[in-house]
Amino acid sequence: CDDFVKEVEIVDPTAEESGEIFEPVQFVTGVYGRHTDFAFAFSYLGITEIISDNADKGSSPTDTGTDKHLLDGLEHNASTPSIRAMWTQWYKTIGRASLAIEYTEEYEMTNESLRARLIGECKFLRALNYFWLVRSFGEVTLQHVDLVERAPVSEVYAFIEQDLKEAIEVLPLKSEYASSDLGRATQGAAQSLLAKVYLYQEKWQEAADMAQEVINSGEYGLEEDYATLWRASTENGRESVFEIQARGDIIAHGVQQYSQTQGASGPNGWGWGFNTPSEDLLNAFNEEGDTIRRDATIIFRGETLWDGRQVDPAVQNAMYNEKAYSSANAGNNDTDKNIRVIRFAEVLLIRAEALNELGRSSEAIIPLNDVRDRVNLGAVSTTDQGELRMLIWKERRLELAMEHDRWFDIIRTGQAGDVMRAHGKPFIDGKHELFPIPNDQRIQTPDMTQNPQW
Amino acid sequence: QDAITGTVMDADNQPLPGANILVEGTNRYAVTDFDGNFSIEASSGEVLQISYVGFRTRNVTIGNEQTLTVMLEEDTSELDEVVVVGYGVQKKSDITGAVASVKAEDIVKQPALTAVQSIQGKVAGVNIVSSDAPGSTPTVMVRGIGTAEGGREPFYVVDGQPTQDIRSINPSDIESIDFLKGASYANIYGIRAANGVILITTKKGKKGKAKINVDSFYGVRSTLNRVDMANASQYITYFNEESASLGGFMLSEDQQFNTDWYDELLQLGSISSNSLSISGAGEAIDYFFSYNFYEEEGILKDNKYSRGTIRNNNTYHLFDDKFRITQNINITYTNEAPKPFSAFNNAYRQSPLVPVYYDNGRFGQSFVNQTTGVVGYRSQAGESVGRLYPHGNPVADVYYQDQDINTTTLQGQITAELDITDKITATGRFGATKFYSKNNNYNPIRERWLNADPRRTLEQFEAGRVPDEEDGTISTEFANNSYRVIDEEFFRWNLEGFVTYNDSFDKHNLSATLGLSRENYGGREKMEALAYDVYEEKRLRSLGRRTSAFFDNTVEQEFNQSTNLQSYFARVEYDFDKKYFVRAVLRRDGTSDFITGDNYFENFPAVSLGWTISKESFLEKVSFLNHLKLFAGWGKLGNANVPINIQQIKTNAGSGNQNYVFGPTQSLIFGSSFGSPVVPLRWEVTEEWEAGFDFELFDRRLTGTLDYYNRKNTNTIVLVKNILNSAAEDDFRAHAAEVTNTGFEALLSWRDNISDDFSYNLSVNFSTNKNRVQNVPTGYDGATGGSLSNGQITKRLKDGEPLFAWWMYEADGIWQNQEEIDNNPSVGGAAPGHLRYKDQNGDGVIDDRDKKYFGSYIPTFNYGVNIGIQYKKFDLSIDGFGLGGNKVYNGLANTRLGGENVTAETFKNRWTGEGSTNSHPGAYRDALPSSYWLEDGDFFRINNITVGYAFEDLSFFNRVRFYVTAQNPFMFTRYSGFTPELNRSGDNEYGNPVGTTGMELSAYPTTRTFIFGVNLQL
Repeated sequence: CDDFVKEVEIVDPTAEESGEIFEPVQFVTGVYGRHTDFAFAFSYLGITEIISDNADKGSSPTDTGTDKHLLDGLEHNASTPSIRAMWTQWYKTIGRASLAIEYTEEYEMTNESLRARLIGECKFLRALNYFWLVRSFGEVTLQHVDLVERAPVSEVYAFIEQDLKEAIEVLPLKSEYASSDLGRATQGAAQSLLAKVYLYQEKWQEAADMAQEVINSGEYGLEEDYATLWRASTENGRESVFEIQARGDIIAHGVQQYSQTQGASGPNGWGWGFNTPSEDLLNAFNEEGDTIRRDATIIFRGETLWDGRQVDPAVQNAMYNEKAYSSANAGNNDTDKNIRVIRFAEVLLIRAEALNELGRSSEAIIPLNDVRDRVNLGAVSTTDQGELRMLIWKERRLELAMEHDRWFDIIRTGQAGDVMRAHGKPFIDGKHELFPIPNDQRIQTPDMTQNPQW
Repeated sequence: QDAITGTVMDADNQPLPGANILVEGTNRYAVTDFDGNFSIEASSGEVLQISYVGFRTRNVTIGNEQTLTVMLEEDTSELDEVVVVGYGVQKKSDITGAVASVKAEDIVKQPALTAVQSIQGKVAGVNIVSSDAPGSTPTVMVRGIGTAEGGREPFYVVDGQPTQDIRSINPSDIESIDFLKGASYANIYGIRAANGVILITTKKGKKGKAKINVDSFYGVRSTLNRVDMANASQYITYFNEESASLGGFMLSEDQQFNTDWYDELLQLGSISSNSLSISGAGEAIDYFFSYNFYEEEGILKDNKYSRGTIRNNNTYHLFDDKFRITQNINITYTNEAPKPFSAFNNAYRQSPLVPVYYDNGRFGQSFVNQTTGVVGYRSQAGESVGRLYPHGNPVADVYYQDQDINTTTLQGQITAELDITDKITATGRFGATKFYSKNNNYNPIRERWLNADPRRTLEQFEAGRVPDEEDGTISTEFANNSYRVIDEEFFRWNLEGFVTYNDSFDKHNLSATLGLSRENYGGREKMEALAYDVYEEKRLRSLGRRTSAFFDNTVEQEFNQSTNLQSYFARVEYDFDKKYFVRAVLRRDGTSDFITGDNYFENFPAVSLGWTISKESFLEKVSFLNHLKLFAGWGKLGNANVPINIQQIKTNAGSGNQNYVFGPTQSLIFGSSFGSPVVPLRWEVTEEWEAGFDFELFDRRLTGTLDYYNRKNTNTIVLVKNILNSAAEDDFRAHAAEVTNTGFEALLSWRDNISDDFSYNLSVNFSTNKNRVQNVPTGYDGATGGSLSNGQITKRLKDGEPLFAWWMYEADGIWQNQEEIDNNPSVGGAAPGHLRYKDQNGDGVIDDRDKKYFGSYIPTFNYGVNIGIQYKKFDLSIDGFGLGGNKVYNGLANTRLGGENVTAETFKNRWTGEGSTNSHPGAYRDALPSSYWLEDGDFFRINNITVGYAFEDLSFFNRVRFYVTAQNPFMFTRYSGFTPELNRSGDNEYGNPVGTTGMELSAYPTTRTFIFGVNLQL
C-alpha cells in the first residue's frame, strides 16, 4: 500500500542529477555575466563617482536614488544599500568564479589548454573583484578561508597577485584568441590589472615592470580620437584592455540600465539623470584647457551631440555623463554600452607614476606625454618628482573622469581628505578612506569586525 | 371524565409519534400515533404529564378544552449532542479536548458569502479576519499562527471530503461546523492539521413530511470608517509648504477643482441571496435538495461576485437500515469581475485639484502648469507642464479594468456504511472534485495611453504603430488592446475505508476505529494565452480573430505534478462509567512530496484524558452543579503544505546575469550559475498540549469551557538570507526556528426561559494568544518582510519576538531647527519638520542597528459577545466582536513620494515651524518607516443586530419570518485608516506574515450593510 506515495516522482531537488549537461564554459560565462548586474548601473555609480568630487547625485532634489544623496553628502553609513549591494555583488562574483574553477577542474574534458584558459579567466575575474573589495573595505574575508575573520590587507593582495600571476601564465594574448572569443580576459588584461594592484601597494618597481610588459606586448595602443573612446566604434579596439561587453540588439544585454540611470532626465530626456559631472570637474577641465576630454566626458544641457541628438534646453540638470551615453539605444534598459574597465592609457599612467616614484622622472614623462599628446595638450617637461607626481595625479583625473576610478585614486594617493573638504564635504580622516562593513553582513556574522570609526 | 384529544408537536411544528401522556397520580396513559395524535380520559383540573425522549417533560393542567396542542421543547443540554470528530462522531459529554461547535441557526443569522465569515467572534481561540471585498475569503487563525513560509489555511473537511475552497459551500446548506482546535482531536488529519481542522456537516432530510424552505435577503452596503481627506485649500497650503522646503514651484490659490476622490470612487454596494431547499425522509430514503444564488456588488463600481450552488444529499437505508448509502453532490459556479484595489490607494493620494474628467472628456491626471501653479495640462508658450506625482486616476483604473473570471466546481461523494454486526460497522467513501476556471482580461491599451495624458492625440498613437525599419516590430505600447485568457483546471480525489467497533460491558464503554485513506491532489493544468489587437466588442473578443497582424500571440502552458497521500489511522476511546475517559489516536501519513532516506512516512500520535468529576459521589449532592469535566491532552500535527528547495543550477533565456556577450558581432552567449545549496526539507511538525474543563451549572442555564493551550511548531521553515559574503546567491529555505503559540480560551453562555413568551441567551468568549519565535540559529534570523514597495521594509524575523514582528525606527519627536539636527545623531537628509529617530545604541549614527521591535500584527486577545432575545413572535440578536494587543501599520499615510494629498487630520496636526508641535511631522518630511506610523490595532465592532418577526400557522405557510439586519453598524477603533482588519498580502495571499498582512496600503475598507430578509417555511 505504501507504494502509492512512490507513484508520483519527486521533483528532483538537485539539478546536477537532472540529466541536463552543463559544460564548464557555461559557468565561466556566468562569472562574466555577473558583471552585467544592475548593481554596476546604480549602486556602483554611487560609491565610485557620485561620492567623489567628480560627480553629483543629479536627478531632482526629491529623487534620492535610494541613498545616492547620502553618498553625495558623505553621509553614508553601515546601512547604506549601495555599499551593501557592491559588497554582495563582488562576493557573489567571487563565489561564481571559485565554483566555476572547481567545476572546470573536475569536469572530464580532453582539451587541457581550454581547461587552463577557462580557469585563468576565472582567476582574473576573481582577482578583479577582490581588488574592488580590498580598496573599498580594506581588510576583507577571503571566501575560501573564512566568512567571519577578515584577512589583513597584505594577505588579500597576496591572493590577488597569486590569481593574476597564475592567470598570466595561461591566458592568451588578445591577438591569440579566436574572434568569437573577443571580450574574454587576456594576458594583457591580467598584466594591466596586476600593474594597478602593485600601484595600490606602492610596489613601484613591480608596477613599472608589469606596465612595461603590457606596453612591450605590442598588443595595445592609444585611439587617435579621445572623443570616440567610449563609443560603440572603438569597442574592443586597440586601446581596450578589458571591457564589460554589451549588445543593444534584441535580445539586448549589457550592464542593466547603465545608460538609463545616467541619461538626461526631463523634457525629451532618455534617462533618470543620475551621476552628473560636477562643477568642480568642469573647472578642472577648463583650467587645463582640456576641451577635447571635457566635451567627450560631459553632455551639456542644450547641446547637439555628435550623433545629431538635440539635448533639450529644459532637461533637468546642466550636465550629464557622456561616457554612459549610447547613441543607438539611448535610455533602453540594456544598451550596447561596453564599459571600459582598463584602458591602455591607464597602463601608461601607471608606468609614469611608478617610474616617477622610483626617481626616474625623466623616463616617467614619456608615457605621460603620450597620453597628453593625444588630446592636444602640451608636453610636461618637469622632472621635479613632487611636481610631476601632482601632474600625473591630475592627468589620471582628467583622462579617467567618470570611469569609476576617482574616489579610490584620491584615497590611494592620500589626497582624499583635503580634496573632499575643499569640495565642501565632511570627510573625516581615518574613517572615510574605507566604507563600513555592511550592517546586514554583521547581523549574519556578528563576530566580524567593523572598520575604524564606523 | 371526558375524552381529551390532542396533538404533540416539536418546536418546528412537526408531530412527535410515540410520545407518552400520563395523567398524574393515575395509571391512565396514552401514546401518540404517527401523526402525533392522542386521546385520553381526563377531568378538568387533572394534570397531564407529557414526555418524549430527548425532550423536556411538560405538565399541562386540563381546563375546559377538549382538544389540546402541546409543544415539547428539546432538552437543551448540549452534552447529548453529537460532535463530528473525523471518521466518526462523539457525544459532546465524552469529548476530552477543545472542540467547538457552531449550529446552523448561528450561521444564517449573519448573512455572508462563506459560513466562516458568519461565525467571526463566536468561537474562542479562532480568530477570523475578514475582508469585505466581494468574493473574498476570510483569514482563519486557529490558536495563533505557527508557520512563516508554509500554508496557513485550516484544513476544511465537508462531510468527510477534503475541500480546497470554502467559498464553494453555501452557508444555508450547513447543519453544523465543528472546530477541532486541540491537537489531540485534530491529529486524526495528520500532516494537514497544523492550522486547525474545520469539519462541516451539510443538511440531510429529516423524518416527517417534506419541508420547503425559502430564504431571501437583499442589502445595501457602504464604507464604515471613511477617512476625511484634505480639501483643495488645505491641499494647496500643504503642497506649498512642502515645495518651499524643496525649492520647488508654488501652487496658485486660484484653482478650478475641489474633487473628493472617495465620493467619486465609491458607490453604494449591494448584496442579495435567494435560496430554496426541499427536504424530508421516507421509509428508505432521506433527501435534501437546495439551490442558492448569491450576488454581491462592491463599493467600487462593477466590482461583482456572484455564485450559484446546487446541492443534493440523499441517504438510502437498505436491509432494515443495516446498509446505508449516502450521496452528496455539490455544484458551484461563480462569476467575478475584479477591480483594482490600488484605486483605494490612488484615491487617497490624488490631489483634490485634479478633476475626474477634463473638459475634453479625458480622465483627469496630475498635470500641473509649473509656471502658473495652476493644476491642469494647459500652458502658454514658455510655460512648463509637469506632474504633481506619478499616481494615476483611480476612477480610470476602475473604469479600464475589464476582467471576467468564471469558475465551476463539481464535488461529488458517495459513502457506504454496513453494519456487519451490532457492534461493527464498516464505512467506505469515495469523493472527487473537479474545478474549472476561465479568466478573460481585456486591456484597452490605446484608451489608457490616450487618457494618461490629455494632450495626446490619436494621430500620435497611430504614428507609434509604424513598424521599425530594422526589425519590423512595433512596441506593444502601441497595440490597440490586449486580451489575456487563462484557463485552469484541477482534479482531486479521496478514497477511504474504516471499521468502527463499539461495545459496552458492565460500566466499560469501548469504541475503536481503524482505517486507511488515499488522496491525490495538487495536480493542475494551466493555459495562458495573450493576443494583441483583438476586436473591442465583448462578444467578438477572441484570440484568433485580430484586427492587425503586428503582434504575435503567445501561449504558455503549465502543469503541476500532483501529490499522492497515503494515510493510516487508528483510534481507541474508552470510558469507565462515563466518568473516566481515555482516548488515543495514531495517524501515519506519507506524501509523495517528501522523502527522507527511503522513508516517506511519519507517525502522529495523540492521547487525551477526561474526568467527569461531577459524577463522583462527593459532588453529586451539589445541586447547582449539573456537569463538570476536566480534560487534558497532547498531540502531534503536521503541515505538509510547505515550499521545498529545488533547482541548484540557474540559467536564463533572456538578459539574465548568467549570460554574456562575446565576439565581434556581440552574440549573446547563454551561461549558467549555481544558486544555493539545497537543504533537504520536510513537513513542519507541531506539538501541542492542552488542559481545561467544561461545566454546566444552575439547571444547565450557565455553561462554559475554559482551557489552556501550548502549541509549538518544532521545525518552522524560514527563508534564510544567504550570507552576503558567501558564494551562495539565493536565499534558501531551512528548518531554522520554532514558533510557539500559548494562551487561554474561555466560553461562557447563559440561557433562560423567563416564561413561555420570553427567553434569552447571552454568551461571551475570550481568548489570548502569545506568539513567539524561538531557537533561531545565528545568522538565520535576518529574514525581512512587510515591504512598502518603495525599498523599505517593516518586519523582521527575530528570536524572542513574535513571528515577523514590526521592526523600524522609534520616532522621537520632530526636528525643530537645523541646530538640533547638527548637534544630534540623525538620518541622512534630515531637515526641520522631519521625524526624529532614536539612537537606540547610542553610537551617534542612525542606522539599522537603531531599529527596534514593536510587537506584531497578530492580536494578543480577541473576544465576542452574543445576545439573543425571543419575545412572543419577535426575535432580536446582537453580536459583537473585538480584538486587541496588536499593531497595524498605516502605510497609506507613511509612504509618500511628495506632492500627494493627505488626510484632513494630518493637515490639521502638522508641524508648521519651530515650536508648533513635537508630535507630528511637517509637510516636508521623509517617508521612512517608523513607530510614528504604527498604530494600535484594537477594535470592537458590533457586527450584527437583527430583529425578526415570525407569523406562524398561516393558511399556506407554516412559518414566515421577516427580519432586518444591520451588519457592522458600529466600530470602535482608534486606528486612523479605513480598516484595522488587514488580512491581505498582495492580491490573493491571505494572512502571509512575511507579506503586507497588518499593513494598510490598498486594503478594502470595512463596510456597513443593511439587510432585509424573509424566511418562508411550508
